[in-house]
Amino acid sequence: MWKFIVRRLFVTFPQIVLLSIIIFILAQMMPGDALTGLIDPNIDPAAIEQQRERLGLNNPWYVQYADWVKGAVQGDLGQSFRYKMPVTELIEQRMINTFWLSLLTLIFTYVMAIPLGIISGRWNDTWLDRAITGYTYIGFAAPLFITALLMVWIFGFHFGWFPTGGSVAPGLTPGTFEYFMSKLQHLLLPAFSMAVITTVSTVQYLRSEIIDTKQKDFIITARAKGAPESRVYNRHIFRNSLLPIAAFFGYEISGLIGGSVFIETIFAFPGMGKLFLDSVLLRDFSVVSSVVLIFGIAAILGALLSDIILSIVDPRIRIK
Amino acid sequence: MAFLEVKDLQVYFPIKGGFFNRTVGHIKAVDGVSFSLEQGKTYGLVGESGSGKSTTGRAIIGLENVTSGQVLFEGKDITSMKSKTKDLRKDIQMIFQDPYSSLNPKKRVLDIIAEPLRNFENHSKQEEKKQVQDLLELVGLSPESIFKYPHQFSGGQRQRIGVARALALKPKLIIADEPVSALDVSVQAQVLNFMREIQDQLNLTYLLISHDLGIIKHMCDHIGIMYKGRYVEEGTKDEIFTNPHHIYSKRLVAAIPDINPRMREKQYRYRQEVQEEYNQSYNDYFDQEGLAYSLQSISDTHKVALPKRG
Amino acid sequence: METNKVNADVQASDQVRSPSGVSILWREIVRDKVALVSLILLVLTCLFVYGISFFLKQSEIVTVDLFAIHQAPNEQFLLGTDYGGRDVFGQLIIGTRNSLSIGILVTIISGTVGILLGLISGYFGGHIDNAAMRLVDFFMVLPTLMIVIVFVTIVSDYSIWSFSLIMSSFLWMGIARLIRSKALQERELDYVQASKTLGSSNFKIMFTQVLPNLSSIIIVTMTLNLAANIGIESGLSFLGFGFPESTPSLGTLISYARNPQTLEFRWWIWLPAAILILILMLAINNVGQALKRATDARQRRG
Ligand SMILES: Nc1ncnc2c1ncn2[C@@H]1O[C@H](COP(=O)(O)OP(=O)(O)OP(=O)(O)O)[C@@H](O)[C@H]1O
Ligand SMILES: [Mg+2]
Repeated sequence: MWKFIVRRLFVTFPQIVLLSIIIFILAQMMPGDALTGLIDPNIDPAAIEQQRERLGLNNPWYVQYADWVKGAVQGDLGQSFRYKMPVTELIEQRMINTFWLSLLTLIFTYVMAIPLGIISGRWNDTWLDRAITGYTYIGFAAPLFITALLMVWIFGFHFGWFPTGGSVAPGLTPGTFEYFMSKLQHLLLPAFSMAVITTVSTVQYLRSEIIDTKQKDFIITARAKGAPESRVYNRHIFRNSLLPIAAFFGYEISGLIGGSVFIETIFAFPGMGKLFLDSVLLRDFSVVSSVVLIFGIAAILGALLSDIILSIVDPRIRIK
Repeated sequence: MAFLEVKDLQVYFPIKGGFFNRTVGHIKAVDGVSFSLEQGKTYGLVGESGSGKSTTGRAIIGLENVTSGQVLFEGKDITSMKSKTKDLRKDIQMIFQDPYSSLNPKKRVLDIIAEPLRNFENHSKQEEKKQVQDLLELVGLSPESIFKYPHQFSGGQRQRIGVARALALKPKLIIADEPVSALDVSVQAQVLNFMREIQDQLNLTYLLISHDLGIIKHMCDHIGIMYKGRYVEEGTKDEIFTNPHHIYSKRLVAAIPDINPRMREKQYRYRQEVQEEYNQSYNDYFDQEGLAYSLQSISDTHKVALPKRG
Repeated sequence: METNKVNADVQASDQVRSPSGVSILWREIVRDKVALVSLILLVLTCLFVYGISFFLKQSEIVTVDLFAIHQAPNEQFLLGTDYGGRDVFGQLIIGTRNSLSIGILVTIISGTVGILLGLISGYFGGHIDNAAMRLVDFFMVLPTLMIVIVFVTIVSDYSIWSFSLIMSSFLWMGIARLIRSKALQERELDYVQASKTLGSSNFKIMFTQVLPNLSSIIIVTMTLNLAANIGIESGLSFLGFGFPESTPSLGTLISYARNPQTLEFRWWIWLPAAILILILMLAINNVGQALKRATDARQRRG
């Protein structure tokens, strides 16, 4: 197992390096550089040139890359052109918001998927199973942004049950109970909208696992011996299906990242995804590349974590 | 000059493992095998599962990379699968074990049998069709079958299609790797007899690979017995079947079931004797690693793997 | 040896079709009522949309008419107008056409890349395979959506073609992986070995022997990918990084709903497009799932 983990780490490191190179190249292709955010365009060109030299913007690309990586590792992601503040500061609060949103989405996903999958697998071919399968069929086909739009339209605007924008009601003091409840209320609908879609694959996986298990010999033997079937069953299903599913969360991260761009845009939720999109529209490219870098690393580490956990719970995976 | 000569052939497969999936060892599938074939004769390669028979055959035709050693065909070196030797290889063809997977299910019989023709010869559509029909006739199938697909034939018929394909380039040597083991027993004899018949017609040489000594006895003029990638004994059919020298060969020959029921009792006792001898003298015939020694000639045609004495 | 033709038991029926091929796929669709209805629906939609848009002028429909902005559905404008006074119904037709076309284009480009890479990787195996699969792994974890958006904003000559290329360059991995695993299985089969001994080049074996055996799986994946790609394109257009307004897609119409006023009060602008996408994707998926069942003998219905 250690061998697997170390070997897996040897894949992860080049991935991160490659990611950073791609983002660096993209950043170079984007119009504007660190100076654009710092100075007034009416200044004398000679002075600008002097500034460029001082900031190292005329250095060869590999020196610039090294500087950029050095900064990023130390938590310095440069300056936002628009907001004239360090990107790190700008990102901090957004990151916290997105983190809670993702966490709640994951919780919703598992809370919905596990019972649905178990019901649909254990009582397969009943009308309940058919209803659940129907839902997974639609959920598989439906794009996230359409689901989210319909949710906002129906539950947000039409019924008015949920707020339709922001991350907290204005005017509340942080730390109070009202503040917390308001935050939670703002998270519920976006998280649920996303979970409705992310649930699908887990339900399908669980359903087919359980149907497979039912045909296995030991269950049939246990049944024949009159052993409490559901005990054998539950223990087996727990070991062989639920643990792997729990470990999938790392793989979900890349999905959540893509999803957050849509969800945060639709719900006007001030998180990383919306920050990304706003920054692209404002051409605030130092923020853009920072967000992509953070999300990219998160996805790489998520996959790493899931791989490692899976290799512990399910040795079959290690072979690949 | 021998028709086909295999000199000290070695085929090793790497065992991957360790940290970076590096090669940590080798499976010596074929380890120092030498033999030669006479034109127009059938040479049988016997041995238990995993002894390296198929690998030997596949190495000769170029499907496996040869680790060391040489394969000479009519005096020309064809050991490596380079484009220079590719043309030489059309004289060597192969019949595969599994008549199901060896024919592409998506291709019509015409395309299957014409594949080698299209690679090596330039024919018009008409000529090609004619040739394929002739080949089908030769292997005893109806020439109208050319537009059918493999799944429309029985196992025995498919094997005939495989033979027709192998014959398309008029090869001199055919390597047949367990050509009938996937077929029903009733069909096996049909296919084998038919193979002998075309052998006489076309002056073919066979390298017949099998673990069934009955088939080997029925078909072969010369026989080589393999064990763990090495030869234990080689000789003519008579030498091997009436006078086996190596204890391993003795045991194999003793294991052939006798059809005569009155002989069963006697044979059973004989088999037990051989088994006892095998257990007792195992160390005289195999080295510390359990591998056979190198071959020593005991007559012009008969060679046995014995330790060098004096 | 018996000289009579051992051919009697081969029935000379109409079965002169290759097995497990297109005919099986077709049979499964006909057996599966939902899939059949979906297919008919799709064909009709295509005929309708491509037919009508032949008579509609895209430039006319996307011309701003400030005297007719935000009209609710009425006799002149079946589905009302948008903030530029443009006919929503006309945009819906053209949008569907554009979405379908770009979906098909992207599916073909990314599919071709994926199939080529997967086939080469699986057929040759070894180091080539290793390198290719590392590349696939890497692309799989990239925050694709964001990178596409960045590309779209910095590409200078932005057009339908460059947009398709950008999208395709991040959508080839799934099919590459699938084809690779199938090719790995396929190359071990004796018919591939036989082709080698018969003098066929690797290139020839890959494309004329192995590829035809993957055809049904390719059809299935491409169908499912088409649905996904239409979704991705409309998502990008929704965010404003897909088609320009002068070439509306279904996503463009939905993107008007990013304005809360439109979302809440002017449903006629975005809701029909949203529902249309849902229906299209469901229909294509239904067909794809039926095809998928057909390739898996255990799940086949008929
Ligand atoms: N491609 C390969 N990679 C690794 N090992 C292999 C490969 N092909 C064969 N071997 C190994 O080489 C040895 C000889 O195999 P081979 O197929 O030649 O045996 P065989 O005598 O034909 O047996 P059988 O009667 O079962 O066909 C076996 O131990 C097998 O596991
Ligand atoms: Mg073999």
